[in-house]
Amino acid sequence: MIEFQHVTKKYSESIIAVDDVNFKIAKGEFVALVGPSGAGKSTLIKILIREEMPTSGRILVADRDIFQLRERELPYYRRKVGVIFQDFKLLSKKTVYENVAFALEVAGVFTSVIKKRVPEMLSLVGLENRSNAFSEELSGGEKQRVSIARALVHEPKLLIADEPTGNLDPVNSWEIMELLFKINKQGTVVLLATHNKEVVDAINKRVITMKDGKVVSDKENGKYII
Amino acid sequence: MSVVSFWRNRWLSLATTLIIILTLIIISIFSFMVLIVNKTATSLREKVDLVVYLKDSDSEEQIKALREIIESRPEVESIIYVSKTDALLRWQARYSSDEDLKNAVTENDNPLPRSLEVKTVEAEQISTVAEFLQNEDYSPLISQLSYEKNKTLIDRLVSITSFIKKAGSGLSILFIIISIFVVYNAVKITIFARSEELEIMRLVGATDSYVRLPFVFEGVIYGLLAAVVSSLILIVSYNFLNLPLSNYLNNIGYNVSAFIRTSVFQVVGLQFLISLLLGIFCSFWATREHLSK
Repeated sequence: MIEFQHVTKKYSESIIAVDDVNFKIAKGEFVALVGPSGAGKSTLIKILIREEMPTSGRILVADRDIFQLRERELPYYRRKVGVIFQDFKLLSKKTVYENVAFALEVAGVFTSVIKKRVPEMLSLVGLENRSNAFSEELSGGEKQRVSIARALVHEPKLLIADEPTGNLDPVNSWEIMELLFKINKQGTVVLLATHNKEVVDAINKRVITMKDGKVVSDKENGKYII
Repeated sequence: MSVVSFWRNRWLSLATTLIIILTLIIISIFSFMVLIVNKTATSLREKVDLVVYLKDSDSEEQIKALREIIESRPEVESIIYVSKTDALLRWQARYSSDEDLKNAVTENDNPLPRSLEVKTVEAEQISTVAEFLQNEDYSPLISQLSYEKNKTLIDRLVSITSFIKKAGSGLSILFIIISIFVVYNAVKITIFARSEELEIMRLVGATDSYVRLPFVFEGVIYGLLAAVVSSLILIVSYNFLNLPLSNYLNNIGYNVSAFIRTSVFQVVGLQFLISLLLGIFCSFWATREHLSK
């Protein structure tokens, strides 16, 4: 499904954020990408969603080199990759419903389809009763669930979670993790970037460890080793 | 969304629109000046002719031969023979309100010379024909050639037109450049204010045109509003200036009032075109950095 081939990102000769990273992720996998701050996790994710270009290397997603995509193909690629962030990235002046619908509106989806799809997503993340609330009125956990609903609205095959529990307390963190497992069980590949040791050690999934831009470990049922 | 953004930053929007209005007014003023001076020069050119005053000693056969020679030249469009009687009638018509002058010339005492009035295809060709007639074969028949006075006036008008065009173009370009930067910055500020929203738009897969469209509309709003206000100023000015200008340019050879009325519509059209292009171009430029990398 996803293959990283010798991916390197240098900002200068002395600043190498990602250094010759190679690994594959198969369909339906749940992978935790771990490492301390500055290990290169977020840079790798930015490269994967084409927010940045690598200095060298390739990334194949569904056998397509994403760096060969033309400018006008990028929006369509990004719709196939759901992303959630530590800071949620919600629009504060819009309601829960409107935040999720927004992702469909920019894609030109008909209103009738939006009216059907958004409640389905909100139901999946357990927020069907909060659709008229503004994002400012939500707790951290609820905000992250809205982000997840928005990320899933195009039914992506890949969901990237970049430190999704970074701003959450332990209870909310586990709620989010449970939701991610649920999504993964339905067939979506989940790539979780985190430096939360407790979460990683408890989930018993494949763990790829990065340090100083390099992959130092890649284990099934791994633990947080750094 | 563009209208909301325009209203939210209304002081910035007002300043931006005022700069565009000023630019359009300057372009309009110079456009008008060029149009009117050009039209006046063209009209005067049509009135200019070369008058060949003939000697009293010339016979009718000599005059006829001279006329045929002049007529055969490719520069000559038409030629009219003015006899002494014709000249007398013209004199009497011109000074009909002054009895003394009118009666100064009579049929029995008519010093007015016969003449050939030559019209050329282009005004510039008059001097060519005049030079030809200064040839020793023809000059003995001719007492005087008259065209210098009108030619000087036309040359001055052409020179004024050229100066107005250069000065007008220079000032217009300067103000257009200023307007471009002002509109660009206004759109940039709006982009900055909505940067969070734009980031999310890109994240969820919005196309470049979807992201860009509201800002292009904002640029169009600046342009259209400026064009409407500037056009109103132009039309109000026309109503005030039409009569004084028409009286000042009386007898110039064309209907000044009608010409200005037609020109107003042309200049209004030009204003709308320039302001729309300005708004659209600046928005495109300002949004370039924020689109897909």
